[in-house]
Amino acid sequence: MSESRILYEIRNASKNYGSVVALDGASLTVRAGEVIGLVGDNGAGKSTLVKVLSGAHQPDSGEIFLDGELRRWKSPHDALEAGIETLYQDSGLAPHLSVSSNVFLGREVMRPGILGKLGFLAQKTMDVQAHADLERVGIAVPASNRPVAQLSGGQRQAVAIGRAVAWARKVIILDEPTNHLGARQAGEVLEVIKAAKAKGLGVIFISHTLPHVLAVTDRVVVLRLGKIVRDAPTSEFTVDSLLGTITGLITSP
Amino acid sequence: MTTTTDRHPVAAPTSQANPARTLRAVFANQQVILLLVLVGMIVVFSVLNPVFFSVDVFANILLDWGPVILIAIAQTFVIVSGGIDLSVGATIALSGVVAAFAMQGAVTAKMSDTGAILIGVAVAAVTGVAVGFANAFLINTAKLVPFIATLATLGAAGGLAIVLTGGAPVGGGPASAIALSVPWLGPLSTPGIVVVVITIIAGLYLHKSRFGRYTYAIGSNPFAALAAGINVKRHLTKVYVLSGLLSGLAGMFLYIRLGSGAPTSGVGNELDAIAAVVIGGASLMGGVGRMTGTVIGALILTTVTSGLIIIGVEPNWKKVVVAILIAAAVSLQAVRKSARKA
Ligand SMILES: Nc1ncnc2c1ncn2[C@@H]1O[C@H](COP(=O)(O)OP(=O)(O)OP(=O)(O)O)[C@@H](O)[C@H]1O
Ligand SMILES: [Mg+2]
Repeated sequence: MSESRILYEIRNASKNYGSVVALDGASLTVRAGEVIGLVGDNGAGKSTLVKVLSGAHQPDSGEIFLDGELRRWKSPHDALEAGIETLYQDSGLAPHLSVSSNVFLGREVMRPGILGKLGFLAQKTMDVQAHADLERVGIAVPASNRPVAQLSGGQRQAVAIGRAVAWARKVIILDEPTNHLGARQAGEVLEVIKAAKAKGLGVIFISHTLPHVLAVTDRVVVLRLGKIVRDAPTSEFTVDSLLGTITGLITSP
Repeated sequence: MTTTTDRHPVAAPTSQANPARTLRAVFANQQVILLLVLVGMIVVFSVLNPVFFSVDVFANILLDWGPVILIAIAQTFVIVSGGIDLSVGATIALSGVVAAFAMQGAVTAKMSDTGAILIGVAVAAVTGVAVGFANAFLINTAKLVPFIATLATLGAAGGLAIVLTGGAPVGGGPASAIALSVPWLGPLSTPGIVVVVITIIAGLYLHKSRFGRYTYAIGSNPFAALAAGINVKRHLTKVYVLSGLLSGLAGMFLYIRLGSGAPTSGVGNELDAIAAVVIGGASLMGGVGRMTGTVIGALILTTVTSGLIIIGVEPNWKKVVVAILIAAAVSLQAVRKSARKA
């Protein structure tokens, strides 16, 4: 992997929530076609790093580079435009909207001609396309027109993953994508990650299920109390040594 | 992907052709219940006083309905977006008064009545839009919650209307304005027809357009809307400006109805608007609501008002009846929600 160029990079990111230090000088890189595992205890700062990388939160300090260019995300809109797609750990979907409305949220297909110019939606087209997108991901596909509020946790997760996969052009960030999923469906998510890698996307995969992390990643980054304490090729870890690094029992590589 | 509201996974509503189930589905539909309530009211009032069942009375109900539905449409967008606009009534007063001054000036300048009325419409609209921008500024930039922001503009707009007029209605406008309220298309007058057209367009935009989609998305989960790349602040600005615009037009509607701009007209109407929307099935938590519900909700309100007067009940009973209707509507929502959960 290390031969390909660095696609997405964050340097020295810090973020405080009031007196809570959520990120403390964290740096991370992901290359095209590379899968990074981001692990750490509850509250280590993983989701905070995700939100900084996706433009949802602004870091207090630190720099972001995409394709070697210094970038600043004023909002998720900027990062999405740049091809960075994110699955958030929670609250990434609008529960009252239908499955397809969520998949196309912010990127609606408009009706052709004058009606589209007036702002009217091509709902049928989106329903069909959303179904195809979710079918490709292949996890617990719900009907396009059902409100997300009526779906099971796993089906919601499938919608969120399907949306991220359908739109990602450069980087895909998955914050605990196997949440709410059964064993078979979690396995499908790992396949989705491999497919994204094969397409040349940079993937950042967050999970507490360490065997999953070791199975699909090229490199593992360990966060503890907002600091990166280890960043090494996956081949250097076993489940036990990774667990030790996460909890702080193992401090030197 | 959990959501904070944490809805219950429900079995998919299957659509087998089971007549009993179909019938139950029809009656579970809030709009159908509302229509039945409306028809029931018309029947009761007509039995109590047969005078009620006439074109004249319906025309009058529709004239009452005009300003109410305009601010109820506005309130529907705002409530679906997860907010509330308490300033709609005061905006009616302010825009009616400012438009009245403008039309007075136009008439003094020997302008034609039509020209003066068009100026009145434009000035009322601009005044409403200004209040809408003030609301958006207080919410987006000053970070006030919508309840407080629009309470502030309610006070400011209402106060300004009184200060500008010294409390007295402003007349001296185009003499033929009031004649516009005469119905000529069945029970509909010209402003009434305009309101019906606005209502239909607003319904299409709420349910079929990207503007409506974003409104629901923000009310449903603001973070999801932001994370999907929607400019939430800009969209909310549009929503509150739309609310101001429609309230301004409602102010002009009342001017035409009364032939003058009174600083007291519209006062308290925000409660009618909220009532119409809530009776129509919208949730004050955002993300839920339908324009047809609002339309019928507003009709129910205005029918109650006229009906009580015609059967000779003291008009202030209206407030009691409206309060009961709101409580019943909200309670119905809660009951049905917990029934789904069970
Ligand atoms: N919006 C917020 N406001 C205040 N504090 C926050 C906020 N979000 C996160 N934090 C705090 O920042 C720290 C890091 O949280 P974060 O969500 O990034 O952890 P995490 O590594 O994703 O944990 P988990 O594995 O439980 O998802 C925690 O102490 C948390 O309480
Ligand atoms: Mg997290």
